[in-house]
Amino acid sequence: MSRGPPPAASSEHSRGGSLVRAQAPQPAAPSPSAQPASLPRRRIRLQPFDLRADQITDIKVCLRPFRAMGPRFDVEHVGNKLVFHNYGHGGSGWSLSWGSASVVVEKVSTTLQRKVAVIGCGIIGLTTALTAQRAGFDVTIYTKDLLPRTRSVRANGSWTPDSRISLTAPAGPEFADLWERMARISWATYRDYLGLPGNPVEFIEHFSFSDRPFDAPHEEKPDGRTGDYASTGMPQHGEEFARYSDRIRDIVPAGEELTPAESPFAAPYAKRNSLMLYNFASYGHLLMSEFFQAGGHVVIREFHDPSELTSLPEKVIINCPGYAARDWWNDKSLIPVRGQTAWLPPRPDLPYGLHYHGASAVSKTDGLMVQAYDLDNEGEMGSVGNSFEHPDRTESERAIKVLADLFARSPISEG
Amino acid sequence: MPRKPSTRLMRSHAFYAAALSLASASPLHAAKPVASTVPSFTTEQAQHGADLYRTACAMCHGADLSGNFQTPSLKGRLVASWAGTPLSRLTGYIQRAMPLMAPGTLSTEDATALVAFLLRENGAAPGKSPLPTVEKRQASLKFPALAVGPDTPSSK
Repeated sequence: MSRGPPPAASSEHSRGGSLVRAQAPQPAAPSPSAQPASLPRRRIRLQPFDLRADQITDIKVCLRPFRAMGPRFDVEHVGNKLVFHNYGHGGSGWSLSWGSASVVVEKVSTTLQRKVAVIGCGIIGLTTALTAQRAGFDVTIYTKDLLPRTRSVRANGSWTPDSRISLTAPAGPEFADLWERMARISWATYRDYLGLPGNPVEFIEHFSFSDRPFDAPHEEKPDGRTGDYASTGMPQHGEEFARYSDRIRDIVPAGEELTPAESPFAAPYAKRNSLMLYNFASYGHLLMSEFFQAGGHVVIREFHDPSELTSLPEKVIINCPGYAARDWWNDKSLIPVRGQTAWLPPRPDLPYGLHYHGASAVSKTDGLMVQAYDLDNEGEMGSVGNSFEHPDRTESERAIKVLADLFARSPISEG
Repeated sequence: MPRKPSTRLMRSHAFYAAALSLASASPLHAAKPVASTVPSFTTEQAQHGADLYRTACAMCHGADLSGNFQTPSLKGRLVASWAGTPLSRLTGYIQRAMPLMAPGTLSTEDATALVAFLLRENGAAPGKSPLPTVEKRQASLKFPALAVGPDTPSSK
């Protein structure tokens, strides 16, 4: 199913404008404080997704490579090679990829070398390779798998730049500054991929529904955890995780609360925002094509020990293995955070996403993606330390049911 | 001798072209010394490995070692990835990284038994002496090039 390029400067409604406000008047009563100057608004009508477990086409599991202090960017010698690390981006690898690549390639440029090797071809490896090419390097990627078959593509692929990227205290204030730099570069680079055929990157409307006010403090289920990262070596509470998004509020579209009269589905509280998505199939193919068109080479190779790097012809190596760094670089600072997505047939005619009660559904070009991101109200601590990279169908079916139930009690949303 | 530099240049071009064609003719897997001798392991070791495999590995890699879209197969490509590599690295990798949901839970003996099992499943025949578990001794043994041969008439 191909899609033509969306109309310029209107990526949000690029898929046929099925998000329409109802014509029939509804007695909307926006609170004066929330919407001081706006006109009374109509209910947003959305066609519910057909969410049934028997529509699942695939279940993918990823392990986010989380490091308490943030991604690894140090440089070290291995024999006569100089290795620049670029891994450990937690749940923010896709979002920060271009910025992270830029930070590393700036450093690599000072070596005055012309050839560079990149280890790994996930989203970090591939964007690093492309960034190095754009800086004038001849790049060879050494990898055991190419992008569509790497762990990266088991993520959810949306703009989540500070999703379990670090813990506030171990990362420190310097990392917050670096994060902002990476986030701004990534955001700007992603904008270069908007409006292209196949929608490699796009914005969709995204809705959050809740039974509680959005400003109510998150109450984590008591789990008997004590201490913190400093005392135990593992994060113990959601509050330890860093939040940096406020630093880039000036470029990321703000969300807005909806009144019950405006809300498309029957939940007491609703918000909407514009969400940036990465469509794996078209975006992945585009990046691989760009790499080859710029003269890049790929060598399929699996490394088992850092000393094997000494056999490479390149003197400068950028190490982008993601979670595999735990095994191949013996980096025990990597903490796995499991994530799972279920994929239903694509619904390009329904370009929106929503989340409610820890379940989310997002319409992507390569499928309707359903994720149980926090069904048990564990907040950021959910799945931390879990490296069970095997599909759990029950989890996906629970997520489907949460959202299907929301749709089922929302008769107003039909049409 | 005005022609000498250009002759030199041509020679070096020819050499470079030869080197390039050699490089492109070589397999994608970077060339490395490949051992032809198969390290000895016992039937008992391989069987112990098979038992462990069923409980700790088969869930993801499959009962027949064929893996799935997400989990690598432990046949075929495994040979390409590990041929010529010291066995101690494979044992170390298994101990360090596997099983993925509980890394570090296998003993050296267990990991060694799994290596024996992988050798057997990829076509190596058991021998009389066991695979050593001492890292230094394993480091001197290489994962063998266990190539699939032509089918025999009876198996066609």
